[in-house]
Amino acid sequence: MSYTIETIGLTHYYSKGTVQQVAAINDVNLKIEKGELVGIIGHTGSGKSTLISHFNGLLKPDSGKVLVDGVDIWKDKETLKKSRFKVGLCFQYPEYQLFEETVYKDIAFGPKNMKLSEAEIKERVMRAAAFTGVKAEHLGKSPFDLSGGEKRRVAIAGVMSMEPEVLIFDEPAAGLDPRGRNALINLIKDYRKQTGSTVIIVSHSMEDIAEMADRVIVMNNSSVAMQGSVDEVYSRGDELRAMGLNVPEITEIFAKLRAKGLDVPQNVYTVEQGAAILRKLLERGSAK
Amino acid sequence: MSEKIIEFENVTFAYETEEEDAPVQFPALTDVSLTINKGEFVAVLGHNGSGKSTLAKLCNAILEPTKGKVTVKGIVPDTEEKADEVRRIVGMVFQNPDNQIVATIVEDDVAFGPENLGIEPAQIRKRVDDALKSVNMYEFRHREPHKLSGGQKQRVAIAGVIAMQTECIVLDEPTAMLDPKGREEVMQTVKRLNKEMGITVVLVTHFMDEAVQADRVVVVDGGRIVMNGKPREIFSNVEKLRSFGLDVPQSTELCHVLGIKEGVLDVDECVDEIARLAGGAL
Ligand SMILES: Nc1ncnc2c1ncn2[C@@H]1O[C@H](COP(=O)(O)OP(=O)(O)OP(=O)(O)O)[C@@H](O)[C@H]1O
Ligand SMILES: Nc1ncnc2c1ncn2[C@@H]1O[C@H](COP(=O)(O)OP(=O)(O)OP(=O)(O)O)[C@@H](O)[C@H]1O
Ligand SMILES: [Mg+2]
Ligand SMILES: [Mg+2]
Repeated sequence: MSYTIETIGLTHYYSKGTVQQVAAINDVNLKIEKGELVGIIGHTGSGKSTLISHFNGLLKPDSGKVLVDGVDIWKDKETLKKSRFKVGLCFQYPEYQLFEETVYKDIAFGPKNMKLSEAEIKERVMRAAAFTGVKAEHLGKSPFDLSGGEKRRVAIAGVMSMEPEVLIFDEPAAGLDPRGRNALINLIKDYRKQTGSTVIIVSHSMEDIAEMADRVIVMNNSSVAMQGSVDEVYSRGDELRAMGLNVPEITEIFAKLRAKGLDVPQNVYTVEQGAAILRKLLERGSAK
Repeated sequence: MSEKIIEFENVTFAYETEEEDAPVQFPALTDVSLTINKGEFVAVLGHNGSGKSTLAKLCNAILEPTKGKVTVKGIVPDTEEKADEVRRIVGMVFQNPDNQIVATIVEDDVAFGPENLGIEPAQIRKRVDDALKSVNMYEFRHREPHKLSGGQKQRVAIAGVIAMQTECIVLDEPTAMLDPKGREEVMQTVKRLNKEMGITVVLVTHFMDEAVQADRVVVVDGGRIVMNGKPREIFSNVEKLRSFGLDVPQSTELCHVLGIKEGVLDVDECVDEIARLAGGAL
């Protein structure tokens, strides 16, 4: 069996051969299965963006390999090109992604490159725009004349319109307002359910990752420091904090309640989960 | 009475763009009146496209009102000279740090603002080093700002405004790309500048847990100011905030959904309230 994405000894240096040479990722070995929703977290500069830029061949490894569906993407030109359609990547700063004259053309860029029919392109653009909350009146506008969060939505729509088998988002919710953030989380969950796509999300929001991810990968100083389920990773709060990360506010609340002697579980990562537990506890309390 | 530092009087702003040869107006702010007092820490919240960045750019004369008046310490920036004067009073961190990078070396980039203010070189050196240290970027001082990670660029941009030591700083989503620890450190730095040095702070953010730490919260919706008050007042109204596309911190939400208390602002308040009520369950 092959994995959707597999990295073997993946290593990348920037400014190679100069005094400033940095190993941005060092000997990274990962296996991502079809249909998984993987969250990648890690401190600023830990190598997350560098790592995912290898998954669709945007960066070339200095050593090691990236396999997509079992095939080395750098095998030949044809394989590299195919992997670019298969794996859609949405950049950390939407400005890097936007370049067309209008919002419509920007979202249509991918499907056009895929040589789809005009009708199919239009349908995909409208669907992706509606999905991501791009306003109809913005479609004719220049993407550069939008607010930060509006640009972000267009950039996400531009990747979704390609309907790739693997969707990779680098900080997709950064700059989105809270409603947009929640909508995006639901959108990604629904999209995955409907299409069975593999989704990889880089995020600094421990809350968002807790709500979405099947598996969490923690990057620290260019290497993978931990991986596992939300529970497995988030239960190691002290180690996470030592790496510049933390746990969701709700998890902290439960830790402090326990410290005060309340009999509540440790592994609470969403408000919904926490509220359900406390409701029971408070009912019991008032019944006494 | 407190001294005003920035005053918006009935300010309307519309962007004008050419679309298929005909100019089109996009109204971004409508009839906004707002006073920021000297020494205050004000957070600005609002949905995407509500007009926050537009408001921020009007504070330091990057944009000029279409209608109405913005006054900074008595100065109306209607000439280039006066606009420069305003920029010496109000420093700004843009939403996208790439728009802020002006030099090819990190420390030169941070020195750019103070140099423009005419500060003497020895003083600049110290300010740049201190600013870079305060955002944990000192060891990156010889690097190229373009070749940094997203969060590292954001820290450099913040150092740039800290080094200017202007009386007022406006930060447009400065922590959007930072890791949890970095976000906390930037909030500590901002609060230190505010409390210890008396620097007025205007912070645009989508993080509710940051807004909670301000003296006052202003909510913008569709180009108008719709709420303006102390964090506790603002965050007591969960449903109203949601109707504006916003949210509340998890501590606030938990107490709200449990129906035990409104306007709880942080983890400790939340824990105390629950522990008190659960006393019977111990
Ligand atoms: N173009 C570049 N040239 C040289 N060094 C770079 C370049 N891009 C990134 N780096 C360095 O490589 C390391 C990893 O960067 P990367 O962008 O992968 O981090 P990240 O985990 O995505 O961080 P963030 O959370 O801040 O976005 C950092 O130390 C960064 O300074
Ligand atoms: N250069 C521009 N030309 C035309 N319209 C613009 C321009 N910049 C912003 N706008 C429009 O003005 C409105 C307000 O934009 P602004 O950038 O102030 O929003 P914001 O509240 O900062 O949003 P965000 O949270 O997404 O950063 C939006 O509807 C936006 O589309
Ligand atoms: Mg990054
Ligand atoms: Mg903005």
